[in-house]
Amino acid sequence: MARLVVLGGGVSGHTAATFAAKWLGSAHEVVVVTPNAKWNWIPSNIWVGVGEMSKEEVTFDLAPVYAKAGINYKQAKAVSINPEGSELVNKPFVTIEYTLAGREGMTENIEYDYLINATGPKLNFGATPGLGDANGLGEFTVSVCTADHAVHANEEFQKSIQKMKKGERQKFLIGTGHGLCTCQGAAFEYIFNIEHELNKAGVRDMADIKWISNESFLGDFGVGGLHMKSMGFAVSSKIFAESLFTERNVDWIIGAHVNKVEKGKVHYELLSGEMGEEEFDFSMLIPPFAGVGLKAYAKDGTDITATVFAPNGFMKVDANYAAGAYENWKASDWPKTYQNPTYGNMFACGIAFAPPHPISKPMSSPNGTPINPTPPRTGMPSGIIGKAVAHSICDRILQGENAPLHEASMAHMGAACVASAGKGIFDGTAAAMTIYPVVPDFDKYPGTGRDTDYTFGEIGLAGHWIKHILHHLFIWKAKLKAGWTLIPE
Amino acid sequence: MIREIITYPTPPSVEYATDVRVFNEDIFSLIEDMKDTIQANSLDGLAAFQIGNYYNVVVVKEENSSNFLELINPRIISQSGKVTTVEKTAYFPKLSAKITRYETIGLVYQDRFGNQHSLNADGDFSILLQRKIDYTFGSSFLNKLSKEEKKLFTKKLEFGSDIAISESCPTVFKRDYIIKVINIVMITMIILLIGSLFVNDEASAGFWQYQTYLFSTAIVLNVIYFFYAQYEGKRFTSCTSCQIGNIIGTTVILLIKLFVIMSLSYFII
Repeated sequence: MARLVVLGGGVSGHTAATFAAKWLGSAHEVVVVTPNAKWNWIPSNIWVGVGEMSKEEVTFDLAPVYAKAGINYKQAKAVSINPEGSELVNKPFVTIEYTLAGREGMTENIEYDYLINATGPKLNFGATPGLGDANGLGEFTVSVCTADHAVHANEEFQKSIQKMKKGERQKFLIGTGHGLCTCQGAAFEYIFNIEHELNKAGVRDMADIKWISNESFLGDFGVGGLHMKSMGFAVSSKIFAESLFTERNVDWIIGAHVNKVEKGKVHYELLSGEMGEEEFDFSMLIPPFAGVGLKAYAKDGTDITATVFAPNGFMKVDANYAAGAYENWKASDWPKTYQNPTYGNMFACGIAFAPPHPISKPMSSPNGTPINPTPPRTGMPSGIIGKAVAHSICDRILQGENAPLHEASMAHMGAACVASAGKGIFDGTAAAMTIYPVVPDFDKYPGTGRDTDYTFGEIGLAGHWIKHILHHLFIWKAKLKAGWTLIPE
Repeated sequence: MIREIITYPTPPSVEYATDVRVFNEDIFSLIEDMKDTIQANSLDGLAAFQIGNYYNVVVVKEENSSNFLELINPRIISQSGKVTTVEKTAYFPKLSAKITRYETIGLVYQDRFGNQHSLNADGDFSILLQRKIDYTFGSSFLNKLSKEEKKLFTKKLEFGSDIAISESCPTVFKRDYIIKVINIVMITMIILLIGSLFVNDEASAGFWQYQTYLFSTAIVLNVIYFFYAQYEGKRFTSCTSCQIGNIIGTTVILLIKLFVIMSLSYFII
């Protein structure tokens, strides 16, 4: 019997674990180690953050689902990996620390034959003074990165609405809280849901809403923007985003690295090197992501963390990390199998794998501060990669160690994204976008690096309905209800 | 080398604008071609996109100088104030449109050696840079037009000229006054018609006499309306109410009303 250990139970880890359990059956063991008791459909957190959904609607208990799937579930966080075993144990193992009530702090070594690192990101609030610290979110801003954060965000949002109803003007500042953030899409959704809700509450005229982000142009979204065909042109998402912001009377600051947050004020540095300040009454700033801080040790106990993980804490996989400057970047730099180059039985998927370089153009201020979005690995690509990795491992377990690995390069993968711009059955809106490939291939598609026939976007009520249907569909899939395997990632 | 400036309706580039990644002779040569083309056509600036090249390169004449400013991979990162002006661009020759843009902008860009710079611009220079940078993102100023302005500009594209529809459609035309007079005449005829029911035969004969005068007046006014409306319509070609079909329809309706009143008058009076 082989044992597959999956670290993390988010979109990628949950997809990998559930498919592996299905394909391997009871002859082999799948273990999931995740510190959370509940699964969270993160894309819907933005609706929790404006009071349009409850926490319960976007989460569910993992234990019964894993019990049904025959997965050995351990509510714990991974602390370290010993990919060569130790002087006492020959088999590789991972050390975990329980977070389960009653067993908090207890550690255990779990041996594995194959390991999937799908730990997701550490929300690195501590990277920006005032945004938070090592313990997480600070007191001056809110976040929608977790369901609990989103509940808190809504509480603060409702307070702002009450103040506006009493005649007190409010400034909303939404965006990214550092020069190297990703997930601009979540902030984009949140700012327009805020705007939509303020309209519904009849207090829009009492609000000044401003966007702040590290993108060098509106609509970059960490993928260098996308082009959509319109009136014979292939128009950049910049033009569409600017139209939307203007139409909704939302002002913006871009090319900004937020370097300090205080009560009611952020300090930022622009790509031009200028320094600025922006005041706010309510602010949601996405933190930068980092690896969760897993350590790795060799058989003799030597720290080999730098061998297994990139400096940002994400796990190294079969990517070209020596691509160098922007002009040398190629689609082929991006990983295909997500196998760790040093230890062939370790894989990483979702946000946990170390990307070779950004997708957006790398930029920095004259002071040397890097200000550009880091590449997104969330949503659809995250699920696809998780499934491909699970497939590879299952093949190796069932067919032998030489079974070929499955590939899911983001440079050969399309993705669809539906970004909500307001919730409502009749007045909701969402921007539906497709992009192919996610990582531009400048050799295959000279120009933007993408196939404009498969890259398009549209905003409207239908997009909102799709977003709402997807909410139910993906929770259905994650709960492993009838037909879950037929629902795409 | 002077290059051909691509004009509407040809899309400016088949492969779409992208950042310059390699700063080499190809880019230098492109920049020189853009300068030659600007000089030859007496322009203020060009985006590479306008001569069918997909790189994010903009060349503009510096303010109050004949020197050129080369901007590679430009990005507008700050903006303030709004200003509405009438703009022209080489892509839509002979056409102009009212466009609202930022009064002042701050931007970052790279020079031909890949070094990053920043600059602030205002006034006409700011507007010129915004228009050219829009091209580098695949947009002509069509995407910047208000709904009303876009409707008007689409008409201009059909006519190929600003002149044909240089004015907006007025809410009141002089020909409307003629219709007003015709209506007053017809109301008077109806009053006479109703009045004839309450008077003796002698007075009724007098009413009929007036009725024929009024009828003749209304017919003449209709004829005047029909020809004058067409004359006025030629001055406002963008107005749907100026179209010949509309004028004929209005005339026919008026005449039918007139003949109905006259027929009733004939039998009753």
